[in-house]
Amino acid sequence: MSSPSPVRRVSAEGPSTTAIFLVLRKMRAPLIVLISLFAISILGLTIVPGQTIEGQVWRMDPFEAFYFMSYTATTIGFGEIPYPFSAAQRAWVIVTIYLSVVAWAYAIGSVLALLQDRGFREALGLQRFERQVRRMREPFLILCGFGQAGEVVARALDATDHRLVVVDREGTRIEALDLAAFRSDVPGLCGDASDPHELRRAGLDSPHCAGVIALTNDDHANLAITMATALLRPELPVVCRTLQDDLIDRIKAFGDPLIVDPFNLFGDELVVALRAPVTNRLTSWLTSDQGSPLPVQLDIPRHGRWVVAGYGRFGGHLAADLVRNGIPVTVIDSKGGTGQGLEVITGDPTSPQALDAADLDNAVAFAAATDHDITNLSLIVSATSRNPGLFTVARHNDPTNGPLFDALHIDSVLMPTRLIAHEVLARIGDPMMWLFVQNAQRRDDAWGQPLLDRLVAVCGERRPEIWTVELTDHGAPSLMDHIEAADVTVAQLLKDPQDRQRDLEAVVLMIRRGQSVVMAPDDTQVLQVGDRLLVAGRGYDRRNLDTTLCVPAAAEYVITGAQVGASWIWRTLADR
Amino acid sequence: MNFEKVVFGFFVVLAATLNFGFFIGPIDDPRVHNAFELYSAVVINLIALVMKFGDRTQIGAVHLATSLVASLQLVAAGGLWAFYNNISEGAAMTPEQISSVVSLSGGALFANVISVTLLVVETVSFRRQ
Repeated sequence: MSSPSPVRRVSAEGPSTTAIFLVLRKMRAPLIVLISLFAISILGLTIVPGQTIEGQVWRMDPFEAFYFMSYTATTIGFGEIPYPFSAAQRAWVIVTIYLSVVAWAYAIGSVLALLQDRGFREALGLQRFERQVRRMREPFLILCGFGQAGEVVARALDATDHRLVVVDREGTRIEALDLAAFRSDVPGLCGDASDPHELRRAGLDSPHCAGVIALTNDDHANLAITMATALLRPELPVVCRTLQDDLIDRIKAFGDPLIVDPFNLFGDELVVALRAPVTNRLTSWLTSDQGSPLPVQLDIPRHGRWVVAGYGRFGGHLAADLVRNGIPVTVIDSKGGTGQGLEVITGDPTSPQALDAADLDNAVAFAAATDHDITNLSLIVSATSRNPGLFTVARHNDPTNGPLFDALHIDSVLMPTRLIAHEVLARIGDPMMWLFVQNAQRRDDAWGQPLLDRLVAVCGERRPEIWTVELTDHGAPSLMDHIEAADVTVAQLLKDPQDRQRDLEAVVLMIRRGQSVVMAPDDTQVLQVGDRLLVAGRGYDRRNLDTTLCVPAAAEYVITGAQVGASWIWRTLADR
Repeated sequence: MNFEKVVFGFFVVLAATLNFGFFIGPIDDPRVHNAFELYSAVVINLIALVMKFGDRTQIGAVHLATSLVASLQLVAAGGLWAFYNNISEGAAMTPEQISSVVSLSGGALFANVISVTLLVVETVSFRRQ
């Protein structure tokens, strides 16, 4: 008996061979017609009498008749072979010619119709998809849901050299995959990812599957995906998007999936920004796309009353987070609502009476938190016209409305899809970065300000390249001897291998040492074998650092200042 | 009654009976092996083969395999017959020549017997739900 495999399998059909069976099935009738008409024609030819040149009665045998039929039916038409036909033979040949035309037309027509057939094309596509997934020989992630958030996640994961398999219920989105111009080949399956069979088709059983990301619009589908993955492949990481609080507990029952809840995230971020605006500015800069400018600092008023229009899921979270931080909140909602420490105004938030009742003149901040973009925009406009000094927060759902939100200069915009995408990327794409952000958000401004100043001084005001260096035999082969022999500090490592007087334009953001973490280590921090460094810096200095890590002569020069030859002969001579 | 099953059974059995009819008799006597019977056996076997296309069950797969074997052997027999009659010199077929044609059809007959057995087994094990 074989040892139990770590991959648990549910019984299912083997690889789908639907396409070939469909062809065979649909070609049955035309082929039978073709064979039958040929058989009748040949039989007739062998029965009808002909004449030799000498005038003797002569009949074709089946072989000659088959030869004649073959060149006649395929329109080659060699003529009357071997003897000129008799009238009777010619009469029968007329019949056979028309029979064969019908048979061929039917057969070819069926093949063409089959090629156009939707079911057949889907079967072919499915077969191609399964082949692609089977041939994946490197770790890949299964992305369920290729909507707005899914597309951002897919693009960014692709840009950071992750392989992907996409499952979506909408055929048009899967078709959009072909046009999306990813760097690597991204197979797409049109199907319901909450169906375990579809998930297995997408490679859940594959030993190369590295994780599942559930980003569909349907929270229950996301729950089903998380459940299926937890039961079939318990060791795989799962990221699950949800918008509903009551589902979070149910999701948590299955292992430890990473839950992405944009409304919670936004509230948490806002609280961090309230408490430590500089640190928040730093983390949001570092988690943005490479090359983006340093964002403006969010100066959230720390004292004073907030007005939240719309007490839905987002508004509820926001109000609760604010109240927890001791900020008075007034909520406007047409359905009303209750909450601890809240002043609730029941009424349509867009009506002037409700806004009057909220007494905006004496408030410091206004949040448009309904789930309708246009309502949010109009709320922001009417609120700022009453009190231009308000700090504004708006919820932005549909990316196509982006220019409108930009034009209003809203202080803080929540875009659920963008937030989800960033969170997923940080967690799955770059765990070191996520760890850094998690730790940084607990720090205050006294910690964040020096690091931000240093980053800007070293790397400029564009978001630098961020990468991870592993001080292992694999990640830094030339450095291992030096680290083991003597203390090597961070400052010693970050030198130009061409000229060690010059510091590399790079900053070590964090060192991960086993389970412990050193945040923003200073220059005198001593490195150890097995450390993982999160480094931010310029692209060209990333290559310089790679040189130090991989070329023994460069490492020797950077650490000790000794010039040694790179070739074996030179090193042997120098050692003497 | 399923008409499809009738047609299917008809062709499978007819393929076997025609094959048997050609095969029966002394193996080296051209007089008892009719060329038209061989011809119709080839045609009917090809039709039976096509009728078995596209069945995804296990028994369907074995059906298809036996039919493939039978058709292959019969086409070979027919080709050999055409070769001896038309291409190689000599007016009538020698006993050696006809016996090689008949033995090929004998192999096909074996495959056809399996096919018919499968048909019978399938029918016997069929229970009305």
